[in-house]
Amino acid sequence: MVAVAANTFRETVRERVLYNLVFFAILMTLCGLLLGQLSIRQDEKIIKDIGLAAMELFGHVIAIFIGIALVSKEIERKSLYPLLAKPLSREELFLGKFAGLGFTLLVNVGAMAAGLFATLLVTRGEADPALLKAVFAIYLSLLLVVAIAMLFSAVTSTALAAVCTVCLVLAGRFSDVVRNMKQVAPGVPDRLVDFLYFALPNFRNFDLKDKVTYGEFVPWHVLGWITLYNVVYITVLLGIGLACFRRKEFQ
Amino acid sequence: MIRATSVLALAAAAAVPWVQARVDGALGAFRAQDEVLYLWKGSQVKRMVPGFEHLAADLYWLRTVQYFGGERVFAKDKRFDVLYPLIEITTTLDPRMEIAYRYGAVFLAEQYPIGAGRPDLGIAVLERAVQNNPASWRLHQELGFFHFVYRRDAKRAAEVLVEASRIPGAAFWLKNLAAEILGKGGERDIARRMWREMLEQSEGALRENARIHLMALDAADAVDLLNGRVALFRERMGRLPRDLGELTAAALARGPLVDPAGIPFEYDSQTGKVAVSRTSYLRRDDLMGETR
Repeated sequence: MVAVAANTFRETVRERVLYNLVFFAILMTLCGLLLGQLSIRQDEKIIKDIGLAAMELFGHVIAIFIGIALVSKEIERKSLYPLLAKPLSREELFLGKFAGLGFTLLVNVGAMAAGLFATLLVTRGEADPALLKAVFAIYLSLLLVVAIAMLFSAVTSTALAAVCTVCLVLAGRFSDVVRNMKQVAPGVPDRLVDFLYFALPNFRNFDLKDKVTYGEFVPWHVLGWITLYNVVYITVLLGIGLACFRRKEFQ
Repeated sequence: MIRATSVLALAAAAAVPWVQARVDGALGAFRAQDEVLYLWKGSQVKRMVPGFEHLAADLYWLRTVQYFGGERVFAKDKRFDVLYPLIEITTTLDPRMEIAYRYGAVFLAEQYPIGAGRPDLGIAVLERAVQNNPASWRLHQELGFFHFVYRRDAKRAAEVLVEASRIPGAAFWLKNLAAEILGKGGERDIARRMWREMLEQSEGALRENARIHLMALDAADAVDLLNGRVALFRERMGRLPRDLGELTAAALARGPLVDPAGIPFEYDSQTGKVAVSRTSYLRRDDLMGETR
Protein backbone atom coordinates (compact mmCIF):
# COMPACT_ATOMS: atom_id res chain seq x y z
CA MET A 1 0.00 0.00 0.00
CA VAL A 2 2.89 2.35 0.82
CA ALA A 3 4.38 1.65 -2.61
CA VAL A 4 1.04 2.50 -4.27
CA ALA A 5 0.77 5.67 -2.19
CA ALA A 6 4.32 6.74 -3.10
CA ASN A 7 3.67 6.02 -6.74
CA THR A 8 0.38 7.97 -6.62
CA PHE A 9 2.21 10.91 -5.07
CA ARG A 10 4.80 10.89 -7.86
CA GLU A 11 2.05 10.52 -10.44
CA THR A 12 -0.03 13.43 -9.10
CA VAL A 13 2.99 15.68 -8.87
CA ARG A 14 3.67 14.94 -12.52
CA GLU A 15 0.13 16.13 -13.22
CA ARG A 16 1.46 19.61 -12.61
CA VAL A 17 -0.50 20.07 -9.43
CA LEU A 18 2.37 22.05 -8.02
CA TYR A 19 2.04 24.66 -10.75
CA ASN A 20 -1.04 25.95 -9.00
CA LEU A 21 1.17 26.70 -6.00
CA VAL A 22 3.25 29.10 -8.05
CA PHE A 23 0.07 30.76 -9.26
CA PHE A 24 -1.20 30.89 -5.70
CA ALA A 25 2.03 32.41 -4.38
CA ILE A 26 1.99 35.10 -7.08
CA LEU A 27 -1.68 35.84 -6.43
CA MET A 28 -1.10 36.14 -2.70
CA THR A 29 1.90 38.42 -3.07
CA LEU A 30 0.06 40.67 -5.50
CA CYS A 31 -2.93 40.78 -3.19
CA GLY A 32 -0.74 41.73 -0.26
CA LEU A 33 0.89 44.53 -2.18
CA LEU A 34 -2.19 45.90 -3.91
CA LEU A 35 -5.05 45.46 -1.50
CA GLY A 36 -3.44 47.53 1.23
CA GLN A 37 -3.94 50.52 -1.04
CA LEU A 38 -7.38 49.58 -2.32
CA SER A 39 -9.08 48.73 0.96
CA ILE A 40 -9.18 50.95 4.00
CA ARG A 41 -7.05 49.36 6.73
CA GLN A 42 -8.31 45.90 5.86
CA ASP A 43 -5.24 44.60 4.05
CA GLU A 44 -4.26 42.04 6.69
CA LYS A 45 -7.77 40.64 7.01
CA ILE A 46 -8.11 40.49 3.24
CA ILE A 47 -4.79 38.64 2.88
CA LYS A 48 -5.95 36.08 5.45
CA ASP A 49 -9.40 35.73 3.89
CA ILE A 50 -8.06 35.39 0.36
CA GLY A 51 -5.27 33.07 1.46
CA LEU A 52 -7.55 30.65 3.29
CA ALA A 53 -10.33 30.82 0.70
CA ALA A 54 -7.89 30.23 -2.17
CA MET A 55 -6.39 27.30 -0.27
CA GLU A 56 -9.84 25.76 0.09
CA LEU A 57 -10.96 26.53 -3.45
CA PHE A 58 -7.78 25.37 -5.24
CA GLY A 59 -7.60 22.39 -2.91
CA HIS A 60 -11.16 21.35 -3.74
CA VAL A 61 -10.51 21.61 -7.48
CA ILE A 62 -7.37 19.49 -7.16
CA ALA A 63 -9.06 16.98 -4.85
CA ILE A 64 -12.08 16.57 -7.15
CA PHE A 65 -10.34 16.26 -10.48
CA ILE A 66 -7.29 14.29 -9.46
CA GLY A 67 -9.36 12.19 -7.07
CA ILE A 68 -11.59 11.14 -9.94
CA ALA A 69 -8.74 10.62 -12.36
CA LEU A 70 -7.00 8.29 -9.92
CA VAL A 71 -9.37 5.41 -10.46
CA SER A 72 -11.79 6.05 -13.30
CA LYS A 73 -9.19 7.25 -15.81
CA GLU A 74 -7.07 4.21 -15.09
CA ILE A 75 -10.12 2.07 -15.74
CA GLU A 76 -10.94 3.91 -18.98
CA ARG A 77 -7.33 3.83 -20.22
CA LYS A 78 -7.08 0.19 -19.13
CA SER A 79 -3.81 1.01 -17.38
CA LEU A 80 -5.28 -0.60 -14.27
CA TYR A 81 -5.04 -4.12 -15.70
CA PRO A 82 -1.26 -4.58 -15.43
CA LEU A 83 -1.47 -3.32 -11.83
CA LEU A 84 -4.17 -5.83 -10.95
CA ALA A 85 -2.13 -8.60 -12.50
CA LYS A 86 0.58 -7.96 -9.89
CA PRO A 87 0.44 -9.43 -6.38
CA LEU A 88 -1.55 -6.49 -5.15
CA SER A 89 -5.03 -6.59 -3.67
CA ARG A 90 -7.73 -4.20 -4.82
CA GLU A 91 -7.97 -2.87 -1.24
CA GLU A 92 -4.27 -1.99 -1.24
CA LEU A 93 -4.60 -0.30 -4.61
CA PHE A 94 -7.69 1.71 -3.67
CA LEU A 95 -6.51 2.78 -0.21
CA GLY A 96 -2.96 3.36 -1.46
CA LYS A 97 -4.25 5.78 -4.05
CA PHE A 98 -6.27 7.60 -1.38
CA ALA A 99 -3.20 7.84 0.87
CA GLY A 100 -1.02 9.04 -2.04
CA LEU A 101 -3.37 11.82 -3.01
CA GLY A 102 -3.86 12.67 0.66
CA PHE A 103 -0.09 13.16 0.95
CA THR A 104 0.00 15.27 -2.23
CA LEU A 105 -2.71 17.48 -0.76
CA LEU A 106 -0.80 17.72 2.51
CA VAL A 107 2.27 19.01 0.67
CA ASN A 108 0.06 21.29 -1.39
CA VAL A 109 -1.77 22.78 1.60
CA GLY A 110 1.53 23.08 3.50
CA ALA A 111 3.10 25.06 0.67
CA MET A 112 0.01 27.27 0.39
CA ALA A 113 0.06 27.91 4.14
CA ALA A 114 3.76 28.78 3.90
CA GLY A 115 2.87 31.24 1.11
CA LEU A 116 0.17 32.79 3.29
CA PHE A 117 2.49 33.19 6.29
CA ALA A 118 5.28 34.58 4.07
CA THR A 119 2.90 37.18 2.63
CA LEU A 120 1.72 38.16 6.10
CA LEU A 121 5.30 38.54 7.28
CA VAL A 122 6.34 40.55 4.21
CA THR A 123 3.37 42.89 4.63
CA ARG A 124 4.04 43.09 8.40
CA GLY A 125 0.75 41.45 9.20
CA GLU A 126 0.14 39.23 12.19
CA ALA A 127 1.18 35.69 11.24
CA ASP A 128 -0.97 34.15 13.97
CA PRO A 129 -0.18 30.41 14.41
CA ALA A 130 -3.90 29.91 15.16
CA LEU A 131 -4.42 30.22 11.39
CA LEU A 132 -3.03 26.69 11.21
CA LYS A 133 -6.21 25.42 12.88
CA ALA A 134 -8.23 26.68 9.90
CA VAL A 135 -5.59 25.21 7.54
CA PHE A 136 -5.93 21.85 9.29
CA ALA A 137 -9.73 21.97 8.97
CA ILE A 138 -9.38 22.78 5.25
CA TYR A 139 -7.06 19.79 4.85
CA LEU A 140 -9.62 17.54 6.53
CA SER A 141 -12.31 18.78 4.14
CA LEU A 142 -10.02 18.04 1.17
CA LEU A 143 -9.55 14.45 2.35
CA LEU A 144 -13.33 14.13 2.51
CA VAL A 145 -13.63 15.47 -1.05
CA VAL A 146 -11.04 12.93 -2.25
CA ALA A 147 -13.02 10.12 -0.60
CA ILE A 148 -16.23 11.29 -2.32
CA ALA A 149 -14.45 11.57 -5.67
CA MET A 150 -12.93 8.11 -5.32
CA LEU A 151 -16.30 6.59 -4.38
CA PHE A 152 -17.98 7.98 -7.48
CA SER A 153 -15.05 7.16 -9.73
CA ALA A 154 -15.26 3.54 -8.57
CA VAL A 155 -18.91 3.23 -9.58
CA THR A 156 -19.30 5.37 -12.69
CA SER A 157 -17.57 7.09 -15.60
CA THR A 158 -15.13 10.01 -15.24
CA ALA A 159 -17.57 12.68 -16.41
CA LEU A 160 -20.46 11.47 -14.30
CA ALA A 161 -18.19 11.02 -11.28
CA ALA A 162 -17.07 14.65 -11.65
CA VAL A 163 -20.65 15.91 -11.83
CA CYS A 164 -21.77 13.79 -8.86
CA THR A 165 -18.79 14.82 -6.74
CA VAL A 166 -19.26 18.52 -7.44
CA CYS A 167 -22.99 18.25 -6.67
CA LEU A 168 -22.43 16.40 -3.40
CA VAL A 169 -19.72 18.81 -2.27
CA LEU A 170 -21.95 21.77 -3.08
CA ALA A 171 -24.89 20.18 -1.28
CA GLY A 172 -22.63 19.61 1.73
CA ARG A 173 -21.74 23.30 1.78
CA PHE A 174 -25.45 24.15 2.10
CA SER A 175 -25.97 21.92 5.14
CA ASP A 176 -27.11 24.91 7.22
CA VAL A 177 -29.84 25.53 4.64
CA VAL A 178 -30.90 21.90 4.85
CA ARG A 179 -31.06 22.12 8.63
CA ASN A 180 -33.28 25.22 8.47
CA MET A 181 -35.38 23.89 5.59
CA LYS A 182 -38.52 23.84 7.75
CA GLN A 183 -38.47 27.62 7.96
CA VAL A 184 -39.11 28.01 4.24
CA ALA A 185 -40.91 24.72 3.61
CA PRO A 186 -42.91 23.88 6.76
CA GLY A 187 -44.53 20.87 5.08
CA VAL A 188 -41.29 18.90 4.75
CA PRO A 189 -41.27 15.94 7.18
CA ASP A 190 -38.82 16.24 10.06
CA ARG A 191 -37.39 12.83 9.33
CA LEU A 192 -36.51 13.80 5.78
CA VAL A 193 -34.79 16.97 6.99
CA ASP A 194 -32.86 15.00 9.60
CA PHE A 195 -31.95 12.32 7.08
CA LEU A 196 -30.63 14.84 4.58
CA TYR A 197 -28.80 16.81 7.26
CA PHE A 198 -27.00 13.78 8.66
CA ALA A 199 -26.49 11.94 5.37
CA LEU A 200 -24.91 14.78 3.42
CA PRO A 201 -21.24 15.50 4.16
CA ASN A 202 -21.31 18.61 6.34
CA PHE A 203 -18.61 20.85 4.91
CA ARG A 204 -19.63 23.70 7.21
CA ASN A 205 -17.96 21.74 10.02
CA PHE A 206 -14.59 22.49 8.50
CA ASP A 207 -15.11 26.21 8.05
CA LEU A 208 -13.02 27.81 10.79
CA LYS A 209 -11.72 30.58 8.52
CA ASP A 210 -13.99 33.29 9.92
CA LYS A 211 -13.10 32.47 13.51
CA VAL A 212 -9.32 32.45 13.12
CA THR A 213 -9.30 35.56 10.94
CA TYR A 214 -10.86 37.52 13.79
CA GLY A 215 -8.50 35.92 16.30
CA GLU A 216 -11.29 33.97 17.98
CA PHE A 217 -10.03 31.00 19.96
CA VAL A 218 -10.95 27.63 18.46
CA PRO A 219 -10.98 25.05 21.28
CA TRP A 220 -8.97 21.90 20.72
CA HIS A 221 -11.97 19.69 21.41
CA VAL A 222 -13.70 21.27 18.38
CA LEU A 223 -10.78 20.19 16.22
CA GLY A 224 -11.02 16.76 17.82
CA TRP A 225 -14.70 16.39 17.00
CA ILE A 226 -14.36 17.51 13.39
CA THR A 227 -11.40 15.15 12.96
CA LEU A 228 -13.50 12.30 14.31
CA TYR A 229 -16.39 13.26 12.00
CA ASN A 230 -13.95 13.27 9.10
CA VAL A 231 -12.53 9.85 9.99
CA VAL A 232 -15.99 8.32 10.40
CA TYR A 233 -17.38 9.79 7.18
CA ILE A 234 -14.29 8.88 5.14
CA THR A 235 -14.43 5.33 6.52
CA VAL A 236 -18.02 5.03 5.28
CA LEU A 237 -17.22 6.48 1.85
CA LEU A 238 -14.07 4.45 1.31
CA GLY A 239 -15.84 1.35 2.61
CA ILE A 240 -18.64 1.70 0.04
CA GLY A 241 -16.16 2.69 -2.68
CA LEU A 242 -13.96 -0.29 -1.90
CA ALA A 243 -16.92 -2.68 -1.93
CA CYS A 244 -17.91 -1.40 -5.39
CA PHE A 245 -14.32 -1.47 -6.64
CA ARG A 246 -13.85 -5.04 -5.39
CA ARG A 247 -16.94 -6.25 -7.23
CA LYS A 248 -16.24 -4.33 -10.41
CA GLU A 249 -15.75 -6.47 -13.49
CA PHE A 250 -12.93 -5.22 -15.69
CA GLN A 251 -13.28 -6.29 -19.32
CA MET B 1 -2.95 34.07 -49.41
CA ILE B 2 -0.97 33.66 -46.15
CA ARG B 3 1.06 36.77 -46.97
CA ALA B 4 -2.06 38.84 -47.61
CA THR B 5 -3.61 37.66 -44.32
CA SER B 6 -0.43 38.52 -42.40
CA VAL B 7 -0.30 42.01 -43.89
CA LEU B 8 -3.97 42.53 -43.06
CA ALA B 9 -3.44 41.33 -39.47
CA LEU B 10 -0.43 43.65 -39.03
CA ALA B 11 -2.34 46.60 -40.45
CA ALA B 12 -5.29 45.87 -38.16
CA ALA B 13 -2.94 45.60 -35.15
CA ALA B 14 -1.42 48.97 -36.01
CA ALA B 15 -4.87 50.50 -36.34
CA VAL B 16 -6.01 49.44 -32.83
CA PRO B 17 -4.26 52.29 -30.91
CA TRP B 18 -5.50 54.82 -33.48
CA VAL B 19 -9.11 53.66 -33.14
CA GLN B 20 -8.81 53.50 -29.33
CA ALA B 21 -7.55 57.10 -29.28
CA ARG B 22 -10.62 58.12 -31.31
CA VAL B 23 -12.91 56.25 -28.90
CA ASP B 24 -11.23 58.01 -25.93
CA GLY B 25 -11.65 61.32 -27.71
CA ALA B 26 -15.34 60.66 -28.25
CA LEU B 27 -16.15 59.31 -24.80
CA GLY B 28 -13.57 61.08 -22.63
CA ALA B 29 -10.37 59.66 -21.20
CA PHE B 30 -12.07 58.70 -17.97
CA ARG B 31 -15.32 56.90 -18.42
CA ALA B 32 -17.04 56.14 -15.18
CA GLN B 33 -18.39 52.64 -15.23
CA ASP B 34 -22.10 52.44 -14.65
CA GLU B 35 -22.53 50.75 -11.32
CA VAL B 36 -24.83 47.82 -11.48
CA LEU B 37 -25.85 45.57 -8.64
CA TYR B 38 -27.46 42.32 -9.69
CA LEU B 39 -28.12 41.26 -6.13
CA TRP B 40 -29.36 43.94 -3.73
CA LYS B 41 -29.59 41.98 -0.51
CA GLY B 42 -26.81 40.59 1.61
CA SER B 43 -28.91 37.50 2.35
CA GLN B 44 -29.13 36.72 -1.39
CA VAL B 45 -25.38 37.04 -1.89
CA LYS B 46 -24.75 34.94 1.22
CA ARG B 47 -26.63 32.03 -0.31
CA MET B 48 -24.44 32.19 -3.41
CA VAL B 49 -21.12 31.80 -1.61
CA PRO B 50 -21.42 29.13 1.11
CA GLY B 51 -18.15 28.96 3.03
CA PHE B 52 -16.69 31.98 1.29
CA GLU B 53 -18.77 34.73 2.92
CA HIS B 54 -15.77 36.63 4.28
CA LEU B 55 -13.97 36.59 0.95
CA ALA B 56 -17.12 37.92 -0.71
CA ALA B 57 -17.42 40.57 2.03
CA ASP B 58 -13.87 41.71 1.30
CA LEU B 59 -14.63 41.96 -2.40
CA TYR B 60 -17.83 43.91 -1.76
CA TRP B 61 -15.95 46.20 0.65
CA LEU B 62 -13.30 46.88 -1.99
CA ARG B 63 -16.09 47.64 -4.43
CA THR B 64 -17.76 49.97 -1.89
CA VAL B 65 -14.55 51.94 -1.40
CA GLN B 66 -13.90 52.14 -5.14
CA TYR B 67 -17.51 53.12 -5.87
CA PHE B 68 -17.59 55.85 -3.23
CA GLY B 69 -14.15 57.20 -4.21
CA GLY B 70 -15.01 57.06 -7.90
CA GLU B 71 -18.27 58.95 -7.47
CA ARG B 72 -16.83 61.48 -5.04
CA VAL B 73 -13.69 62.27 -7.01
CA PHE B 74 -14.45 61.61 -10.66
CA ALA B 75 -18.19 61.70 -11.32
CA LYS B 76 -19.72 64.95 -12.53
CA ASP B 77 -23.20 64.19 -11.29
CA LYS B 78 -22.37 62.40 -8.11
CA ARG B 79 -24.77 59.60 -7.31
CA PHE B 80 -24.53 57.29 -4.35
CA ASP B 81 -27.53 55.07 -5.14
CA VAL B 82 -25.65 51.80 -4.74
CA LEU B 83 -23.70 52.83 -1.63
CA TYR B 84 -26.16 51.65 1.02
CA PRO B 85 -26.88 48.26 -0.64
CA LEU B 86 -23.12 47.67 -1.00
CA ILE B 87 -22.55 48.39 2.69
CA GLU B 88 -25.55 46.26 3.64
CA ILE B 89 -24.25 43.33 1.57
CA THR B 90 -20.72 43.69 2.99
CA THR B 91 -21.89 43.75 6.59
CA THR B 92 -24.35 40.90 6.10
CA LEU B 93 -21.58 38.73 4.68
CA ASP B 94 -19.23 39.69 7.50
CA PRO B 95 -21.21 41.11 10.44
CA ARG B 96 -18.02 41.72 12.41
CA MET B 97 -16.31 43.98 9.86
CA GLU B 98 -16.23 47.12 12.02
CA ILE B 99 -14.43 49.18 9.45
CA ALA B 100 -17.26 48.72 6.95
CA TYR B 101 -19.83 50.00 9.49
CA ARG B 102 -17.72 52.94 10.62
CA TYR B 103 -16.58 54.17 7.21
CA GLY B 104 -19.85 53.21 5.57
CA ALA B 105 -21.82 55.30 8.08
CA VAL B 106 -19.58 58.31 7.44
CA PHE B 107 -19.80 57.88 3.64
CA LEU B 108 -23.59 57.85 3.91
CA ALA B 109 -24.06 60.57 6.53
CA GLU B 110 -21.75 63.30 5.30
CA GLN B 111 -23.54 66.10 3.51
CA TYR B 112 -23.78 65.91 -0.27
CA PRO B 113 -21.49 66.03 -2.30
CA ILE B 114 -18.84 65.09 0.29
CA GLY B 115 -20.97 62.07 1.13
CA ALA B 116 -24.37 60.72 0.22
CA GLY B 117 -26.20 63.20 2.49
CA ARG B 118 -28.22 60.39 4.11
CA PRO B 119 -27.55 60.49 7.87
CA ASP B 120 -30.66 58.34 8.39
CA LEU B 121 -28.99 55.51 6.47
CA GLY B 122 -25.68 56.14 8.25
CA ILE B 123 -27.46 55.71 11.56
CA ALA B 124 -29.25 52.60 10.24
CA VAL B 125 -25.84 51.08 9.42
CA LEU B 126 -24.58 51.82 12.94
CA GLU B 127 -27.78 50.45 14.49
CA ARG B 128 -27.05 47.16 12.69
CA ALA B 129 -23.43 47.41 13.80
CA VAL B 130 -24.27 47.55 17.52
CA GLN B 131 -26.87 44.82 17.08
CA ASN B 132 -24.30 42.51 15.50
CA ASN B 133 -21.43 43.58 17.78
CA PRO B 134 -22.96 44.21 21.20
CA ALA B 135 -19.55 44.07 22.91
CA SER B 136 -18.02 46.90 20.87
CA TRP B 137 -18.26 50.13 22.87
CA ARG B 138 -16.65 52.06 20.02
CA LEU B 139 -19.53 51.24 17.67
CA HIS B 140 -22.02 52.26 20.38
CA GLN B 141 -20.08 55.46 20.92
CA GLU B 142 -20.19 56.26 17.21
CA LEU B 143 -23.91 55.60 17.07
CA GLY B 144 -24.36 58.05 19.96
CA PHE B 145 -22.19 60.62 18.17
CA PHE B 146 -24.18 60.22 14.97
CA HIS B 147 -27.50 60.71 16.77
CA PHE B 148 -26.21 63.91 18.30
CA VAL B 149 -24.21 65.36 15.41
CA TYR B 150 -26.39 64.45 12.44
CA ARG B 151 -29.85 64.20 13.98
CA ARG B 152 -29.58 66.57 16.94
CA ASP B 153 -31.29 63.89 19.00
CA ALA B 154 -29.66 64.54 22.37
CA LYS B 155 -31.92 62.14 24.28
CA ARG B 156 -31.20 59.13 22.08
CA ALA B 157 -27.49 60.06 21.87
CA ALA B 158 -27.24 60.14 25.67
CA GLU B 159 -29.08 56.80 25.96
CA VAL B 160 -26.68 55.13 23.52
CA LEU B 161 -23.62 56.62 25.25
CA VAL B 162 -24.85 55.37 28.63
CA GLU B 163 -25.32 51.91 27.06
CA ALA B 164 -21.77 52.17 25.68
CA SER B 165 -20.37 53.13 29.08
CA ARG B 166 -21.76 49.90 30.57
CA ILE B 167 -19.79 47.70 28.15
CA PRO B 168 -16.65 46.24 29.79
CA GLY B 169 -13.54 48.19 28.80
CA ALA B 170 -15.50 51.28 27.70
CA ALA B 171 -13.91 54.72 28.01
CA PHE B 172 -14.57 56.36 31.39
CA TRP B 173 -15.72 59.68 29.91
CA LEU B 174 -18.74 58.27 28.05
CA LYS B 175 -21.00 58.66 31.11
CA ASN B 176 -19.90 62.28 31.65
CA LEU B 177 -20.52 63.07 28.02
CA ALA B 178 -24.00 61.58 28.19
CA ALA B 179 -24.72 63.71 31.26
CA GLU B 180 -23.45 66.84 29.50
CA ILE B 181 -25.69 66.17 26.53
CA LEU B 182 -28.72 65.78 28.75
CA GLY B 183 -27.68 68.87 30.71
CA LYS B 184 -28.19 70.83 27.48
CA GLY B 185 -24.64 72.09 27.36
CA GLY B 186 -23.65 74.18 24.33
CA GLU B 187 -24.31 71.94 21.33
CA ARG B 188 -21.26 73.11 19.48
CA ASP B 189 -18.99 72.48 22.46
CA ILE B 190 -20.33 68.94 22.82
CA ALA B 191 -19.95 68.33 19.10
CA ARG B 192 -16.38 69.63 19.32
CA ARG B 193 -15.63 67.23 22.15
CA MET B 194 -17.08 64.32 20.17
CA TRP B 195 -15.09 65.11 17.07
CA ARG B 196 -11.94 65.49 19.17
CA GLU B 197 -12.49 62.01 20.57
CA MET B 198 -13.04 60.74 17.04
CA LEU B 199 -9.82 62.46 15.91
CA GLU B 200 -7.83 60.84 18.70
CA GLN B 201 -9.27 57.37 18.18
CA SER B 202 -9.25 57.21 14.37
CA GLU B 203 -6.78 56.93 11.56
CA GLY B 204 -6.82 57.69 7.88
CA ALA B 205 -9.99 59.05 6.27
CA LEU B 206 -12.01 58.98 9.51
CA ARG B 207 -9.35 61.07 11.27
CA GLU B 208 -9.30 63.50 8.37
CA ASN B 209 -13.09 63.74 8.47
CA ALA B 210 -12.99 64.53 12.20
CA ARG B 211 -10.30 67.18 11.59
CA ILE B 212 -12.47 68.87 8.93
CA HIS B 213 -15.47 68.84 11.27
CA LEU B 214 -13.39 70.50 14.00
CA MET B 215 -12.25 73.15 11.51
CA ALA B 216 -15.88 73.70 10.47
CA LEU B 217 -16.81 74.24 14.12
CA ASP B 218 -13.95 76.76 14.49
CA ALA B 219 -15.19 78.52 11.35
CA ALA B 220 -18.73 78.68 12.79
CA ASP B 221 -17.32 80.19 16.02
CA ALA B 222 -15.39 82.78 14.01
CA VAL B 223 -18.58 83.67 12.11
CA ASP B 224 -20.43 84.20 15.40
CA LEU B 225 -17.64 86.45 16.63
CA LEU B 226 -17.66 88.50 13.42
CA ASN B 227 -21.44 88.85 13.51
CA GLY B 228 -21.07 90.26 17.02
CA ARG B 229 -18.45 92.72 15.75
CA VAL B 230 -20.74 93.78 12.90
CA ALA B 231 -23.47 94.54 15.48
CA LEU B 232 -20.95 96.54 17.52
CA PHE B 233 -19.89 98.46 14.42
CA ARG B 234 -23.54 99.30 13.71
CA GLU B 235 -24.00 100.50 17.29
CA ARG B 236 -21.00 102.77 17.05
CA MET B 237 -21.37 104.05 13.49
CA GLY B 238 -25.14 103.92 13.05
CA ARG B 239 -24.82 101.89 9.86
CA LEU B 240 -23.70 98.46 8.66
CA PRO B 241 -20.12 98.07 7.44
CA ARG B 242 -19.82 98.05 3.61
CA ASP B 243 -17.34 95.18 3.79
CA LEU B 244 -15.40 93.24 6.39
CA GLY B 245 -12.37 95.45 5.78
CA GLU B 246 -14.19 98.20 7.64
CA LEU B 247 -14.24 96.05 10.75
CA THR B 248 -10.46 95.78 10.60
CA ALA B 249 -10.12 99.52 9.94
CA ALA B 250 -12.31 100.24 12.97
CA ALA B 251 -10.06 97.94 15.06
CA LEU B 252 -13.00 95.58 15.67
CA ALA B 253 -11.28 92.67 13.94
CA ARG B 254 -7.69 91.68 13.35
CA GLY B 255 -5.73 89.83 10.69
CA PRO B 256 -7.04 88.31 7.47
CA LEU B 257 -10.74 87.45 7.87
CA VAL B 258 -10.59 83.92 6.52
CA ASP B 259 -11.87 80.55 7.73
CA PRO B 260 -9.42 77.84 8.93
CA ALA B 261 -9.19 76.61 5.32
CA GLY B 262 -7.89 80.07 4.30
CA ILE B 263 -11.01 81.09 2.34
CA PRO B 264 -12.39 84.61 3.06
CA PHE B 265 -15.73 84.79 4.88
CA GLU B 266 -18.78 85.96 2.94
CA TYR B 267 -20.42 89.19 4.01
CA ASP B 268 -23.85 90.47 2.98
CA SER B 269 -23.76 94.27 3.34
CA GLN B 270 -27.58 94.44 3.03
CA THR B 271 -28.33 92.25 6.02
CA GLY B 272 -25.03 92.56 7.84
CA LYS B 273 -24.62 88.80 8.05
CA VAL B 274 -21.24 87.06 7.95
CA ALA B 275 -21.07 83.46 6.75
CA VAL B 276 -18.56 80.76 5.76
CA SER B 277 -18.01 81.04 2.00
CA ARG B 278 -20.08 78.83 -0.28
CA THR B 279 -16.81 77.82 -1.94
CA SER B 280 -15.30 76.58 1.33
CA TYR B 281 -15.42 72.92 2.21
CA LEU B 282 -15.90 74.04 5.81
CA ARG B 283 -19.36 75.45 5.14
CA ARG B 284 -21.90 73.41 7.05
CA ASP B 285 -25.45 74.58 6.65
CA ASP B 286 -26.41 72.75 9.83
CA LEU B 287 -24.05 74.95 11.84
CA MET B 288 -25.33 78.26 10.42
CA GLY B 289 -27.23 80.42 12.83
CA GLU B 290 -26.49 78.13 15.75
CA THR B 291 -24.69 79.55 18.75
CA ARG B 292 -22.10 78.00 21.03
